[in-house]
Amino acid sequence: MTLLEISELTLDLPNGSRLLDGISLRIEEGETVGLVGESGSGKSLTARAVIGLLPDQARTTGSVRLGQTEVLGASVAELLELRRHTASMIFQDPRAGINPMRTIGDHLTEALRLCEGKSAAEANARAKELLAAVRLPRPEDHMHQHPHELSGGMLQRVMIAGALTSSPQLLICDEPTTALDVTTQAEIVAVLSEQRASRGMGMLFITHDLNLAASLCDRVYVMSGGKVEEHGTARAVFGNPQTPYTRRLIEATPSISLSAAETAALAQQSGTLTAAGQGETEPMLAVEGLSKSYRRRGKATVDAVKAVSVSIPRGGALGVVGESGSGKSTLARMIVGLESADAGGIRVDGRDRTTVPRTRAERLAHARSVQMVFQDPYLSLDPRIAAGRSIEDALRLHGTLDSRAARSRVLELLDQVGLAEQYADARPRTLSGGQRQRVAIARALAIEPDVLVMDEATSALDVSVQAQVLDLVADIRKARGLTVLFISHDLAVVRRVCDETVVMKAGEIVERGQSVQLLAAPQHPYTRLLLDSIPRPAWESDPRESAAANA
Amino acid sequence: MSAPTPTMAVRMMRAPRLKRAASWYTVSLGVLVVMTLAAVFAPFIAPYDPNFVNLSAVYQGPSPAHWLGTDSLGRDTLSRMIFGARTALLGPLLVVVFSTILGILLGLLAGWRGGWIDSVLGRLFDVIFAFPSLLIAIMAVALFGKGLVAPVIAMSIAYAPFVARLTRQLIVSERSRPYVAAYRVQGFSGPWIALRRVLPNVTPIVGAQSTLNFGYVLAELAGLSFLGLGVQAPTADWGAMINEAQAGLTGGYFLPAIVPAVAVVIVVVAVNIIGEELSDRIGGGVPA
Repeated sequence: MTLLEISELTLDLPNGSRLLDGISLRIEEGETVGLVGESGSGKSLTARAVIGLLPDQARTTGSVRLGQTEVLGASVAELLELRRHTASMIFQDPRAGINPMRTIGDHLTEALRLCEGKSAAEANARAKELLAAVRLPRPEDHMHQHPHELSGGMLQRVMIAGALTSSPQLLICDEPTTALDVTTQAEIVAVLSEQRASRGMGMLFITHDLNLAASLCDRVYVMSGGKVEEHGTARAVFGNPQTPYTRRLIEATPSISLSAAETAALAQQSGTLTAAGQGETEPMLAVEGLSKSYRRRGKATVDAVKAVSVSIPRGGALGVVGESGSGKSTLARMIVGLESADAGGIRVDGRDRTTVPRTRAERLAHARSVQMVFQDPYLSLDPRIAAGRSIEDALRLHGTLDSRAARSRVLELLDQVGLAEQYADARPRTLSGGQRQRVAIARALAIEPDVLVMDEATSALDVSVQAQVLDLVADIRKARGLTVLFISHDLAVVRRVCDETVVMKAGEIVERGQSVQLLAAPQHPYTRLLLDSIPRPAWESDPRESAAANA
Repeated sequence: MSAPTPTMAVRMMRAPRLKRAASWYTVSLGVLVVMTLAAVFAPFIAPYDPNFVNLSAVYQGPSPAHWLGTDSLGRDTLSRMIFGARTALLGPLLVVVFSTILGILLGLLAGWRGGWIDSVLGRLFDVIFAFPSLLIAIMAVALFGKGLVAPVIAMSIAYAPFVARLTRQLIVSERSRPYVAAYRVQGFSGPWIALRRVLPNVTPIVGAQSTLNFGYVLAELAGLSFLGLGVQAPTADWGAMINEAQAGLTGGYFLPAIVPAVAVVIVVVAVNIIGEELSDRIGGGVPA
């Protein structure tokens, strides 16, 4: 039986912009349907339409049938009934969706007590059952905890439990794992699939991650610009995409699976790998036994970075992979001189850069040694300063260019990162995420540093934009012989940029080696866990197996 | 991991609703403009000399000759109102300007440097907060004499902590933003970043909040002159006018007292509406 049937759904704003354009989508009972697309493609709006969460001013046409009810134009009472018993929704940020002042127990029993009229004892029992069902370790204790006591992953499980209190027939998940680490994501996805299977629910799963959609969904709809580009079984869409957009999206998505050439190369050099000494010349970046710990009032000291040593040869690229809290950002901040190290040393091109610069000369010298591109291009550019101006500031701080020369150099740099002249006078807010990150890269290059540190520089971007930025970094490396330290939580991205990779966990490097080698034959259990957690299409083979088979 | 940014759908839901407050904002701006014009061009607009005493025409009601009547000395209320607008606007304006400058500097120092400077300034603000601003002003008058100067200086100091607290809070949150770290990595000095880049980003918000103080200061300065401690007779001042008209109230001549009182209320409300609207407009435009 059809659970959800959306046909020709169109949504217009009063200002005339059309956000959804003829969306048709169907979910059968017990089926998992993926809605993939980049930001602004309308996937969240489509999902919100299902439970009547649309903006007040929006004008809609078409039809959204959930079970037996037509959602568009439904009365408030009907909508309440739908939200209470037919469909539930899980959102991206669990912390934003829960009252921080109330306990987890309050959150879970509220709906049961107020909407279902259950007694407090019944509601409590049911809530504990649900917490156990989403595999939270101590349901009894969690009932009395407040949201801030739980991690993001645990909180998302609470939200799932909350969504399940009404025993919905349809569960709508709007990017439920995007804010989580990859290992946590794997656990959440496992819980979701388990609950879906045991309850026979239908699921509408929204994600920008094609691999995740492929690993989870029976059928997928690819959305772009408010339209459904393509739909079909996950295997058909991802294996044999029909539209150019889907093809581009798939190409842009970094993957951890190895190409045939890579496996062959790997098989050839498997014997010589351990002997791959760095040569005698001094590395461009040499970090020796770097440590940093934070003392917190009334709590145990946190060792953010423990005796980490890495080195990058001139012109090389090293990837640092780890989950949140692994110390990779602290490492980056010490290298660029934003934080002081407790022990150890940092040398860039043979010069000591361990201490946080104090004097003007030290600051400038440090800046010329290392530059950094930050994670969130929405926050790392000064909102008030135009793109060209921020680059010019950096140029004039470090050089003696007059304003005309500086201006032409700015345009040159913008051109190098693929931005036309007109963007020089654009304020950051008028630029897209990818454009902002290009400006940030141009700004870093303006100083002509020896080493460029990229801290999660592409994780806030859409995959197609991410691919462009990664290509840009590759081009610049080729053209300038820039040395890059690339920090990311995403192995697939790191492997695309870096020859060598280190894996960090809890402040320590647990494994290091060639990126390809690391993917094919991870030695440390944590690296293996990371690799296993990365979603991959059900039909795709394990990279390690394929490597082993070819060897 | 990236802090989750609102998706398109969420951002759309937050799209500004139709501005109901906009019309009141326009009216309030109008009130302020009219008042300013009246104050600036008082000698040309006022039908009479505000200090012209005419004992044969005391406590007159509204008439074509005296639109708002006359007071106990036969002075034209409208003319006194128009001239009174001068001190009514000038005092609060000076206080707002001085307290904003002082507050921003102290707030910047506390927020940017942190540490013991922040603690010391924080306690200092607490101490100033503990005294009602009117009390500080009265103390200043007792020490330095009556008039407009002493109360303005005293009130500037009394109101500076409000500005400083807000500035400090904004600076602290701004300081931890990646763009500040980006400036540091590029090699810019701390003071340069603080003064040239961070401060301009917070001043619009602080400025909008400061306009809200204008209304409070106006009311308090009027109160001070009502007590006879502010602007001295015979200068026309709204607070002083209410005071002078007290005697007439018992005789049933309420107009000379009610007119300046109503004017104070209207201006305070207008300034507050403007301040709120400005804060909303600036604060609403979250830098993203």
